[in-house]
Amino acid sequence: MSGAREPITPIVLRSISQRFGRKVVLRGVDLELRARSITGLVGANGAGKTTLFLILAGLLQPDGGERRYGERVVGDIDLELRARLAYVAHAPQLYPGLGARANLELFAELRRAAGLSSRPADDVLRGLGLPADALDRPVSTFSRGMAQRVALARAVAGDPELLLLDEPFTALDARGRSQLAGALLAERDRGAAILLSSHDQGTLLRVCDRLVLLEAGAIVREVERGGDDPAGFAARASEVLAAVGPDDHAAA
Amino acid sequence: MLHLARVRLLRQSLLLLRSELRQELRDLELVLTSTFFTLVVLGMFYLSFAALEKKHTLPAVPGLLWLTVAFVGTITLTRAFDREREADTLRALLAAPVERLAIYVAKAGSTLLVLLVCCALLVPGLASMFPAGQVFWDMPLETAALVVLGCLGYVAIGTLFAAGLAGGGGKNMLLAVILYPVTTPVLMFALVTTRALLDKNPNLPSYLGQMAALDVILLGVGALLFEPVLVGAAPARSAQAARQHRREALRAAGRQEPR
Repeated sequence: MSGAREPITPIVLRSISQRFGRKVVLRGVDLELRARSITGLVGANGAGKTTLFLILAGLLQPDGGERRYGERVVGDIDLELRARLAYVAHAPQLYPGLGARANLELFAELRRAAGLSSRPADDVLRGLGLPADALDRPVSTFSRGMAQRVALARAVAGDPELLLLDEPFTALDARGRSQLAGALLAERDRGAAILLSSHDQGTLLRVCDRLVLLEAGAIVREVERGGDDPAGFAARASEVLAAVGPDDHAAA
Repeated sequence: MLHLARVRLLRQSLLLLRSELRQELRDLELVLTSTFFTLVVLGMFYLSFAALEKKHTLPAVPGLLWLTVAFVGTITLTRAFDREREADTLRALLAAPVERLAIYVAKAGSTLLVLLVCCALLVPGLASMFPAGQVFWDMPLETAALVVLGCLGYVAIGTLFAAGLAGGGGKNMLLAVILYPVTTPVLMFALVTTRALLDKNPNLPSYLGQMAALDVILLGVGALLFEPVLVGAAPARSAQAARQHRREALRAAGRQEPR
């Protein structure tokens, strides 16, 4: 697993389609995720965002289309690829009976067993604002926001090249959102490609380099932050966000 | 490469099994539910059948043994994936750099241990209650082999279906409906072998060998289908897509495609 490796970026999806029974969830989605870039994926509930995340994370095989990670066109997201990506769902997906530290250490040990490194659990957890006295408490006693931080800590501990974050700001307070936004920018500067879905429009505008609007399973609009015209990006991004609906955290 | 993959599988399986057992030891949820159920069933069997003569209990004991294993197994498998179902941790494991087979091995291993704990109560219980069950005391090694092989086969196929339902958000109720038909062959085999044991049939090693062979098949099926059941199979690449992929790979390597 170690040694010189080809980068897995850019990640390119071509004509990805997915249906569940008769319901068509994704219709020919084309998407490119680049290194050192945060792409915001926005869309109304049911637009197909989570399905797209599952396909990128290797948790769902698309019915059609092509997934390319760097130079590789992949059928299965194999262990080598999974070692280099991390996925955070809107549910924290933690073992409720284990503490925050134990949750992270379990996954760190599993990585080590595969010959992969992982950042120390305490460092990552404290970096995301988890108090020291909460490290060994069972996750079942955590608030949703705290559990979400642990899930994020687990994701970034392996220094992933692709970070998939499906509504990570859910249940975070303003301070938590700000800390997470800072952590995302740090991950981007480290070189990660990040796909971020959220209804927190303010944070999306702040951190994203590109916004992609998904409507009824198809990408209908993309706007990119240009170096010369930040005001123009804000205006175009606001138009995209307006198409989704009101901001969840507008009143926060 | 293959050796590394095997070592990784073994180490990750052990890590996950240790985690399963630690969580189980913390709340004893599965063990308590299953052993309590086993004791209740034993008590009911005693009240119902203890007065029967040996010749009448001889054909009943195998049925009592494997019927209880089937019920306890359903309870155990249903609850074994409750943690994953409630917190969706199965997806976290599936997205991590973990051999997916290790998840299967760990789950099947922990479920097998719970079933064996129940059998450690059940078999001596049946042996004490019914004269026909005396053979369990007389032939402890054969009895142990029978119980391990029977439970292993049950768990091998049961874990696959339980995981499929847990991963797909299926209902526990559905597991019971599916589990009984798919585990029937292994339970029938175990039933026949138990009868051979109680009869002190000289062909018992052959029966046990056939059970072991069935277990190998069921474990192979479980291992082979676990990943496709949970995340789906990769679609076969079309010939055109394969050609395109080859062209692009050659281009990336700076070579021309041979004509």
